[in-house]
Amino acid sequence: MLKIDNLRAEVDGKEILKGLSLDVNAGEVHAIMGPNGAGKSTLGYVLGGRPGYEPTGGSVTFAGEDLLEKSAHERAAAGLFLGFQYPVEIPGISNVQFLREALNAQRRGRGEGPLSGGEFLKLARAQADALGMDHEMLKRPVNVGFSGGEKKRNEMVQMGIIGPKLAILDETDSGLDIDALKAVGEGINRIMRAPDKAVLLITHYQRLLDYVQPDFVHVLAEGRIVRSGGPELAHELEREGYGAVAA
Amino acid sequence: MTILELPSPRLEEWRWADMATLKAAADAEPRDAGIRPADLFLDGDGPRLLFVDGVFEPAHSRPGPVKVARWAPETVHPLGGMAEGEGWVLSLEAEAAVTGIQIVHLGSGGESHVPARIALGEDAVATMVETYAGTGWANRFARFDLARGARLMRSVRLLQADGFVSLRDEAVIGEAASLVSIFLGAGGMGSRIDGALTLTGKGAFAEMGGALLTSGTQKQEAAVAVRHEAIEGTSRQLWRAVAANRSVASLAARVEVARGAQQTDGEQSLRGLLLERAATVNLKPELEIFADDVKCAHGATVGELDARALFYLQSRGIDEARAKALLTHAFVADALGRIGDDAVRAAFEADAARWLEAAL
Repeated sequence: MLKIDNLRAEVDGKEILKGLSLDVNAGEVHAIMGPNGAGKSTLGYVLGGRPGYEPTGGSVTFAGEDLLEKSAHERAAAGLFLGFQYPVEIPGISNVQFLREALNAQRRGRGEGPLSGGEFLKLARAQADALGMDHEMLKRPVNVGFSGGEKKRNEMVQMGIIGPKLAILDETDSGLDIDALKAVGEGINRIMRAPDKAVLLITHYQRLLDYVQPDFVHVLAEGRIVRSGGPELAHELEREGYGAVAA
Repeated sequence: MTILELPSPRLEEWRWADMATLKAAADAEPRDAGIRPADLFLDGDGPRLLFVDGVFEPAHSRPGPVKVARWAPETVHPLGGMAEGEGWVLSLEAEAAVTGIQIVHLGSGGESHVPARIALGEDAVATMVETYAGTGWANRFARFDLARGARLMRSVRLLQADGFVSLRDEAVIGEAASLVSIFLGAGGMGSRIDGALTLTGKGAFAEMGGALLTSGTQKQEAAVAVRHEAIEGTSRQLWRAVAANRSVASLAARVEVARGAQQTDGEQSLRGLLLERAATVNLKPELEIFADDVKCAHGATVGELDARALFYLQSRGIDEARAKALLTHAFVADALGRIGDDAVRAAFEADAARWLEAAL
């Protein structure tokens, strides 16, 4: 589904990704772990198409197409979802308005008709219920005044509504208490654990992996994957630290 | 009009005024704007008045309690003082109510001058919408007298394709009376929205604000002074300016609190959004306070669209132009949100959305 080959990228003229390769197939959950500054968030942003995160070499294909050729909104329409470490607050735009715009823009991009207001609301409420988010929060401005946990739940509600093929979740566990962590973990499993979907979990800590069992764990250090393994690698990292494992 | 009569940009209060565009509009040959007057009225069965090039058009009007009369304003304001001739008068008895008044001004070029006088008796209520369309220089003066407990809600939209609109409001607001005027500048014309509101009664409320949207080489401007002369008055000046291309939007807002006007609550919020680096937003907040027990909040900021918010929207599948339009619309939403009537607010929001579609 996602094939990253020798990807190089820079931010502000500084090379952060230095030849990163990774294959993610449909039905798989991959965890990318690594110390601060290893390039984890940069990888998420480069794949998401954020301006300022410039690929300088290598290639990325997603569902058989060149991902790096596409603009950010085209990547979303192609089925890529980027979950943010720090979801942005947007005063003046309600969650419902934002999500309906987003979903219908993606549907348009795929040649599908828009959902009506009623159809959309039904879908949004079902996803909010599944994540334990109050319906009132759907009407509120996007993420404004939301706690850290509420923002991350909102990311999962968005993911549930949009229904992507591939979710790249950047530090989705940061700032979560244990209840929110559980809700978010269950959300990821419910929405994304399917034979035709895949997940790339970017995380610093092992704790989210207690709820979302990865099939593969990779260690990212200094801009490339230095080690790959099964779920046991996450425990080894937790026990021995990045220094020992990545060395 | 001669150019000598126009205010000089060397005067501080007129330094951002685009008198060159005003002059050009005044000198422009008339042309058919191709606008059907009926399209400029919102739905509703309230009184309607149409002025074409400053002349009352009975065929498209049903003035109801609004009278058409010739008169000359008494004002020292340089543009307001020129607005003499055929105009309109709304004078309401105590406790009378007239809602949904619509005044449409359609211009075809050249200069037009219309004075207006609005006098509301005690506890009288009125709501009105004014629309400016077409071209030319539309120069208007409006005098408001609100007696105790009177309430006026007024929404004004400037939609002229080009030319210039100059508005001068002078208001005296009595005890517990309330005047709210919200403006939207979403056409291609130059503008000067100029107001002097005086709160003379205890517990009066005055609000003047809105959104100016500029593109191309357009210049729009609001210059408002609110003067608190009595105790427990409240004033609000919430303005948003959005400037694209090489346009200029300027906001000057002043609050004066006279000696003895205690427990005044003044709020001033001026914010500008630059859609391009070559655009300009000028902000000038001013406070002059001679009482010691007052609350005057003020804020003035200019910035660009938040790049993080822009990427967040794009990452969810919204294209760049639409994402910019959504964020810009959100930026002006709180100013237009001050319009109380749902249908009027929706119409103004649609005007703003049309402007955004064209500008982005």
